[in-house]
Amino acid sequence: MASQILPLELIDKCIGSRIWVIMKNDREFTGTLLGFDDFVNMVLEDVKEYETTPQGKKMTRLAQTLLNGNNICMLIPGSAGPDAT
Amino acid sequence: MEDSTPPPPPEEQSPPPPPPATHTGSPTDFLKGVVGKRVIVRLTSGMDYRGVLSCLDGYMNIALEQTEEHVNGVVTNRYGDAFIRGNNVLYISAAEAF
Repeated sequence: MASQILPLELIDKCIGSRIWVIMKNDREFTGTLLGFDDFVNMVLEDVKEYETTPQGKKMTRLAQTLLNGNNICMLIPGSAGPDAT
Repeated sequence: MEDSTPPPPPEEQSPPPPPPATHTGSPTDFLKGVVGKRVIVRLTSGMDYRGVLSCLDGYMNIALEQTEEHVNGVVTNRYGDAFIRGNNVLYISAAEAF
């Protein structure tokens, strides 16, 4: 068990690469991860926000963004997000 | 007299230098950079507040100036100064370069 890797170490390895963030509600973000803190608040760049509404998915582009970690559910490293799947 | 030079230290695999930071990375650094600039604050309810970020704290409590309240892209209100309690904040996005 010498080479155990902590979850947040995995996210630390993702700094500088694209990441897909899925929130607790019907919202998703993709962007280049610039940094994060102990609460997993995240700083993202070249962000796309996806909102799933009854009318379909709505995409919003954002510049550098601080995403509150409170509503984050899942992080998928290296993924271009829902567009790629 | 023995010439006892210690062996050279083993060549350590030094980690590659971090890529040149165009901006600073961490949330704290982002917030430092964005104070005084125009920002978009989205609440968890989906409403947007656009304005000049005058100050904020570690709870993401926010004071905005020249605030416009947007709902579905439509301006619904304007406030000179606004305080937003941090628990409602979904994200803070830079609306101009810094």
